[in-house]
Amino acid sequence: MAKTKEQLPKILTANDLLTGATVYYTSAGTWSSHAADALVANSPEAIDSLTKAAADAFAANLVIDQAIVDIDAGGEIRPARLREMIRATGPTVRLDLNKSISPIK
Amino acid sequence: MYAYDTFDQTIVRERTSAFRDQVQRRLKGELTEEQFRPLRLMNGLYLQLHAYMLRIAVPYGTLSVKQLRKLAEIARKYDRGYGHFTTRQNIQFNWIKLEQMPDILAELAEVEMHGIQTSGNCIRNVTADHFAGVAPDELDDPRVVSEIIRQWSTFHPEFSFLPRKFKFAVTGAENDRAAVQWHDIGIQLVKGDGGEVGYRIYVGGGMGRTPVIASLIRPFLPKDQLLSYLEAIMRTYNRYGRRDNIYKARIKILVRDLGPEEFTRQVEEEWAEIRKTDVNLPAEEEERIRRFFSPPTYETISAPVADYEKAKSENAAFARWSETNVHPHKIPGYAAVTLSLKPIGGIPGDATAEQMEGVADLAEQFSFGEVRVTHIQNLILADVKQADLFTLWQKLSDIGFATANIGLVSDIIACPGLDYCSLANARSIPISQRISERFEDLDRQYDVGPLQIKISGCINACGHHHAGHIGILGVDRNGQELYQVTLGGAGDETASVGKLIGPGFTADEVIDVVENVVNTYLGLRAPKETFLATYRRVGVEPFKENVYAGR
Repeated sequence: MAKTKEQLPKILTANDLLTGATVYYTSAGTWSSHAADALVANSPEAIDSLTKAAADAFAANLVIDQAIVDIDAGGEIRPARLREMIRATGPTVRLDLNKSISPIK
Repeated sequence: MYAYDTFDQTIVRERTSAFRDQVQRRLKGELTEEQFRPLRLMNGLYLQLHAYMLRIAVPYGTLSVKQLRKLAEIARKYDRGYGHFTTRQNIQFNWIKLEQMPDILAELAEVEMHGIQTSGNCIRNVTADHFAGVAPDELDDPRVVSEIIRQWSTFHPEFSFLPRKFKFAVTGAENDRAAVQWHDIGIQLVKGDGGEVGYRIYVGGGMGRTPVIASLIRPFLPKDQLLSYLEAIMRTYNRYGRRDNIYKARIKILVRDLGPEEFTRQVEEEWAEIRKTDVNLPAEEEERIRRFFSPPTYETISAPVADYEKAKSENAAFARWSETNVHPHKIPGYAAVTLSLKPIGGIPGDATAEQMEGVADLAEQFSFGEVRVTHIQNLILADVKQADLFTLWQKLSDIGFATANIGLVSDIIACPGLDYCSLANARSIPISQRISERFEDLDRQYDVGPLQIKISGCINACGHHHAGHIGILGVDRNGQELYQVTLGGAGDETASVGKLIGPGFTADEVIDVVENVVNTYLGLRAPKETFLATYRRVGVEPFKENVYAGR
């Protein structure tokens, strides 16, 4: 049997239609500006449901540029690719303008 | 500078009003994203990593203080307090909200600005020599022809859906400060056999994944024939340019595939037909446009200016700044001044609302109320009395735009890169910051001499890396940012494509590599020989050997 690449957990992200801000799909079916709030999909079924949520939100004109992206395995939510990490936190050259992955409590 | 007539005002206002309606329909769900996307792009609104980005056209880089103050107001009111001047002499705002776009465009229209044709497959903002009208080596003012092209190309129905985007640049001097040979069409003002001024036409230059230096297709075009000839080029491209493959759709590919001779033949054939029509601009209309660029009322000043010479002899830092950031002016007693938007460790091209307002105040006080944007991402006050330079320098220091580094190693072009741009593969800005910090010592930069470093975060080459004496291209290798280095590119009248030296480097390594290349040059240079001249004399090998030694 062919060896398959390890599947990383996934989250759904997009940009808010009105503001263009980076947003994440949550378990409550809402969109949060913090990646830590994202609903994590670990199974093909869960990924299918993120795909459907993405299509629904796009059709409802809530978000655009929706994408399902990898996060690191285990522990806290941390986008696996640098591009997604920068989307989640902001420009690395303007830390004064950045947001955190988790909401500030 | 050019002032809108009723026609200009009407079309911009009508477009603004149409876009307000389109945004409302989008927000109500009456337009889908697929329908709306081209409409927003036609008004310069892109979606980037963190928000919408608005690109505003600055025709041939010329801004009035009123316009600059409006840009500052937009930065403060609708963005996060700053803007980014680009390599196309435009300005971009990074944090725009779609719902506020109609109000932003309405405010811009008040000062004769917009985002029209700053995106899409149309003729984009025409760029020109930033010393237009003041350079001593200038044959004629490139802003006149730039404005003619702006008017001709705005909403031109035949050229609104080209195979790909299309960029013009114009220089009025033999010393090319507008990189005309890197553009789809480059125009140089030249003298004909009888001494009359006309145009030299280059076609098919471009950066991106296929860097090409433009071909000279017409050494001399009579002045009154400009628009018919440009129309012939555009028609040839529009008809035969490839629409099946985005990577092969620019005019440079058509010129390359046909060969410059055959391309020229087809253009001339088309031109023979078009010339019979009345598409060319009447001489009186050119004169009308030229009057907008009449020189300001200069004072009669005898040079050298004693106060200026005295200030230089008494203040070494001012003298150094005068050497790097002050440029000759055709009128005795005046100078053009480059405001460095490249402070050590800063973000190339970024300016805060306060800085924009500060520059507007200084332009009003010292330079007839006009500011220029350069394609090297700096600003210029073009008409400063030499007697005012010391005061200006002090005031520029207060707002952070007086770094004495123009044309030196830290005067780096960098695209927004992966910090902002959805197309980027790697970050550009942090690399430029680290190089400038590595060469922080201005004495060292001065000793190294003229050296242009240009950095792009992807192959689209917005950071002009192909034209950098040292070019840096960020790529993504299995999720890691890597940087390829090219040497020997140039954007001036000796335009050349930089040569890749070999495998790429990590972000940490590439800073050392740049220093290594600079040190190699210092070891090889003949007296007073610039980096580019040394590179052209010795070739890539000595640099390569040093960079890869021990790797």
